[in-house]
Amino acid sequence: MNWIAVSDLLISAVRMATPLLFVALAELYSERAGLVNIGLDGLMSFGALVGFLACYWTGNPFLGVLCGALGGVLVNMIYAFCTVTLAGQQIVYGMAINIFAPALASFIYRVVFGVSSTLAQATLMKTVAIPGLKDIPFLGKLLFDQTPMVYAVYLLVVVTAVYFNRTKSGLNYKAVGEYPKAAETMGINVIRHKYFASVICGFLAGMGGAYLTTCYVNTYSDGIVAGRGFIALAAVIFGRWSGSGVLMACLLFGFFDALQLRLQIGTDLIPYQLFQMIPYVMTLIALTLFGSRIAGPKAKGKPYYREER
Amino acid sequence: MQKTKVLNLLIPTLSVLLAFLIGMIIILCLGSNPFQAIGYLVKGAFGSATNFGNTVVRAMPLLFTGLCTCFAYRCGVFNLGGEGQFLSGAMAAITVSLLIGSEGWWVTILAMLAGTVMGGLWGLLPGLLKTWRGLNEMITTIMFNYVAALFMGYLYTTALREGSVPQTAPVPDMTKIGRVFPDLRITWGIAVALVLGVAVWYFLFNTSKGFQLRAVGFNQTASSYNGLSVKRYMLAAFVVSGAIAGLGGACDILGTQFRLISGYGGGYGFDGVAIALIAQLHPIATMIVAYFFAVLRVGSTTMQVGTGVPTSVIDIIQALVIIFAVAGSSMQYLPKFRAFMLNLFEKKEAVSE
Repeated sequence: MNWIAVSDLLISAVRMATPLLFVALAELYSERAGLVNIGLDGLMSFGALVGFLACYWTGNPFLGVLCGALGGVLVNMIYAFCTVTLAGQQIVYGMAINIFAPALASFIYRVVFGVSSTLAQATLMKTVAIPGLKDIPFLGKLLFDQTPMVYAVYLLVVVTAVYFNRTKSGLNYKAVGEYPKAAETMGINVIRHKYFASVICGFLAGMGGAYLTTCYVNTYSDGIVAGRGFIALAAVIFGRWSGSGVLMACLLFGFFDALQLRLQIGTDLIPYQLFQMIPYVMTLIALTLFGSRIAGPKAKGKPYYREER
Repeated sequence: MQKTKVLNLLIPTLSVLLAFLIGMIIILCLGSNPFQAIGYLVKGAFGSATNFGNTVVRAMPLLFTGLCTCFAYRCGVFNLGGEGQFLSGAMAAITVSLLIGSEGWWVTILAMLAGTVMGGLWGLLPGLLKTWRGLNEMITTIMFNYVAALFMGYLYTTALREGSVPQTAPVPDMTKIGRVFPDLRITWGIAVALVLGVAVWYFLFNTSKGFQLRAVGFNQTASSYNGLSVKRYMLAAFVVSGAIAGLGGACDILGTQFRLISGYGGGYGFDGVAIALIAQLHPIATMIVAYFFAVLRVGSTTMQVGTGVPTSVIDIIQALVIIFAVAGSSMQYLPKFRAFMLNLFEKKEAVSE
């Protein structure tokens, strides 16, 4: 491969990593407050649909992303109410969201566009090059000639890392996920933090979903998310619950995704399905090699009863 | 005790009713008559012997994936890989039946065995990753689902492809699982499923091994203090639940579907999870709920043709049922709700005295 091919591959890796990164950060915020949300796939698919519809009707991809994010928040409120207020099992509700949200998305799509219709197409978000920086050889095109969503997500990684490690509010937030009872005695409102976490989680996961239909492809189809929510979940574990770790993990998984697309075009000898397996198999391998028995937030997955002693 | 039993029945029933109510409101909002829609649904499911047969045929794979989830969750293993295990079973079964170069009932048995073993192996992999490396089985089983689905794609587009259409050759006639009634599409596979369901129930609730398996699922720490090998039970749960799904895949491909095609088996795994959760992880209830799901699926097609309401409204209703059912059952453990129920029942007792 020559330089241009490598550069193309890396650009596409950044593009594939972006939705993963949004969603992995969503999960990071959720798990830091003790809420394991495996409903990311569902949140993404609903965000993808709402984002697509808003983009289709208004022609504005940015509005699409915003609406997708709000859609994610809306669905995640079901999860929040059931797991925080009703103290239900988080895994079960994540699963319920995974079943409910794609069904709702597919239903709405069919209601809007009819049961059997041609693929509707919306406008794609354009890349915005940052003047000056984009002329840096190699790196310029890779980092500074992308859609604004890409810039947004990297900014978000920095904000997340600073928030959790350098601010008092971030430490309080982390305490909720580590030892909610102690946090509560220190005057931190655990329930409110958990709801806040769910709002952020829904917002970011919805954005990640909307990215798929406003920046990546310009159509919506059922199953568009293709397990990315679970790969993002793996990225959080692989990235050891830290902003920078999650960034590296997502870039790695994004790279494998880009690689398989690239390899599919390259050869006819090897069946393309074997290449399509790469992201999933590499996720498994990465977790097997590096993801073992890291605890993460201590109180994650556990229901919190305020009245209980 | 009595109280929880009543609640265990009451909550799912109420959830179904509530979910249907919302479903009917959605249908109303679409400008269709909800009662007419329900009418079409019932007609589509029970209108004729053929339709009834179709509901049973549709229920069969769901019985297997539901039982697969049920068995694994009872041991605290969140196996979301029912779909991959189902597909790997189906793939093993069709590979055996096509490549063995012969046909007959013994090939059927062999193919079903191959499906069971392959499903078990596909469950063993995430099981090993869980017990050996401590990996979250929810992530790994989903990854294995995609790998299995893609491998199936490889089989029907390349390795076992027949002709210009991307699909495999059909299972030879003599290898197909026979029909129970000549006119209906119901095969003996459903009998296998029912026996299996009862067997799972008997094992879980009437044997000491089953009790220990549930104990591991209930409290791992306590179980290991009592000398149970938690890892071994979990691994067994992975393998057995995978084998159940794999057998289901084999029965489905040998009795109903006959060839691998694009999109085959999609959604069976998650449906199984939904079914087992609504049934509160009880094997017998799982079978009932699986049949109920199948009725909705078969009926909804008629509903779509009759009223234009998309079949996916059924998916929404199903998802709502699980949200309500699980919300209801987790409410039982809420301190406030417990106090409320306690008051209610104590008052009643006081009155009756």
